[in-house]
Amino acid sequence: MNQTANAIEVRDLVKIFGRFQAVKGINFNVKQGEILGFLGPNGAGKTTVIKMITGLLKITSGSVLVSGLDTQKHMDLIKKKLGYMSQKFSLYPLLTVLENIEFFGGISGLTRKELREQAARIGAQLPAELLRQRIQALPPGIRQKVALFVCLLPDPEIILLDEPTSGVDPEMRRKFWNEIYQLKKNGKTLLVTTHHLDEAEYCDRVIIIHNGEIVWQGEPAELLQQNRQTSIEELFKEVISKHGQN
Amino acid sequence: MARIKAIIVKEFFHILRDPRSLTIVFITPVIMIFILGYSFSFDLNRIDAAVVDFSQSDFSRQLVNSFANNRIFVLHFPAGGTSGKSALRAAEEMLRKEKIKEIIVIPVDFSRRLTVHGQSDFGIIIDASNSNTANLVFQYNEMIVLEFMAEMKKVGQLFKLHTKIYFNPEAKSSFFFIPGQIAAILLMISAMLTSVSIAKERETGSIALLFISPLKSYEIIIGKTIPYIMVALLDGVLTLAFSRFWFGIPIRGSLLVLLIFAVLYIIAGLSLGILISTLAPTQKAAMLAAQILTMLPSYLLSGLIFPIDSLNPVLQAISYAIPATYFLRIIRGVILKGSELKHFLFEGLMLVLLGAVLLLAASRKFSRQRKAVQ
Repeated sequence: MNQTANAIEVRDLVKIFGRFQAVKGINFNVKQGEILGFLGPNGAGKTTVIKMITGLLKITSGSVLVSGLDTQKHMDLIKKKLGYMSQKFSLYPLLTVLENIEFFGGISGLTRKELREQAARIGAQLPAELLRQRIQALPPGIRQKVALFVCLLPDPEIILLDEPTSGVDPEMRRKFWNEIYQLKKNGKTLLVTTHHLDEAEYCDRVIIIHNGEIVWQGEPAELLQQNRQTSIEELFKEVISKHGQN
Repeated sequence: MARIKAIIVKEFFHILRDPRSLTIVFITPVIMIFILGYSFSFDLNRIDAAVVDFSQSDFSRQLVNSFANNRIFVLHFPAGGTSGKSALRAAEEMLRKEKIKEIIVIPVDFSRRLTVHGQSDFGIIIDASNSNTANLVFQYNEMIVLEFMAEMKKVGQLFKLHTKIYFNPEAKSSFFFIPGQIAAILLMISAMLTSVSIAKERETGSIALLFISPLKSYEIIIGKTIPYIMVALLDGVLTLAFSRFWFGIPIRGSLLVLLIFAVLYIIAGLSLGILISTLAPTQKAAMLAAQILTMLPSYLLSGLIFPIDSLNPVLQAISYAIPATYFLRIIRGVILKGSELKHFLFEGLMLVLLGAVLLLAASRKFSRQRKAVQ
């Protein structure tokens, strides 16, 4: 696959809950090896889209292709390519870091040898004493870092991070984005949702979603230039308010 | 296998480190067995009795008729004829299987002694595993004997009633209720364990990571079930030990037999719990649903308090779909009567059947939910 091939293709994606249309026929691609930022206020539909990509939510209509495979037909194959870090913190708080790694490695089907290697690799990136601590005893920033490591255990090609820096202090956020850059350098494709608008500037491309519709997509610099705004935050407010008036 | 092992290990950590799980597993059963062990009583409106008439005389038939004419008594004449030792053995087997509550034994010389000596005797053997029922059965027998004696006195003949008590000679009500409560508690705990565990995964969001992993639904269910089979068995042992050493309940049969059937029973309970978890949105809802759906039927419809044959036909039909109905017979049979594996083939089959139906329903609902929900 070349650099411009699509890792994810979303076509006319719709999600309806009862009478509420959460996602209204959106289209976008995530290119191989890029970091795509998915921005929007709470309730915009970011998590709903991510959950449809992972197969956690049934698609009402439209399609999602991951590495060219339809999620509605080949989810078992797609699961091996996807890494997912959910918005809701979901490691087991009563287990230690190492036990969580062993558990998630175990259910991912890693062999004992692979699991040992991965645990050693992750262990090298964390203070040794942390590995034996229970998740519930860790500060939020470290928990998120562990959650990211856990999502990388099966060595996925495409990584979906849903609000990964939510509730984390600015310093830890910066460190977290360094990890994300490192993943990109290693050839991974990343789709990252966030409501921290400053984080959009870390992304290769940005999609702004509001009320289940894409209201803008492009490169962050282009976005700022086109709209003559000094910060993505001001731009975001402007785009959203324009869209809200329509 | 490695994936299932990972779930098993994780579940054990959760049980041991979560105070709520520990409370459910170890405190609740002891409190319940303690409180419920001192409760409940019941009435009787039907007595099934087997007749073994060695005498086969006019007098003995008269005596049998006096029982048959009473609306409470339903008489059975066991295979092997109404006389002979094989009939007595068959009647004892019926008593052991709780098909009857007493055996009326009329001796071979019943008629001759009445005619020659003007007095005779006969015996009844009562199943006293349920002491309240046994007392009532005895009172009804006395009533009939008094009526029959009044008839006999007219012709100057007397006879005497001998009573033999089987299975619970001291007629202690706790001997009857406590094994039943173990059955009810075990079902409730089993259902609560899986229902709360899965509901908790849903509430915290960790179930999403299980769902997008390569784990198959059946692997999740097996991984979730196996640790809780062991925990629930441990609960069973705990309540049984408490019953034995605190309440003095005798254990006359094989613990291995009880263990084999307990595993089947627990699997049915755990499967019910998984089914509940697919319907309950929160841990609290799952816990409440598990309590209501297990305790009410177990206490009211399984024969724990009220004999099943005294229930109305609709409730009787429902009682056959309750796992406790079968395990109750097994645990009482093994504990109080020393019954063996061969005596519970039907009950075992029904537990397998109910467990399979519940497990299948739970698996299907869980898989469907995995594909469509969240």
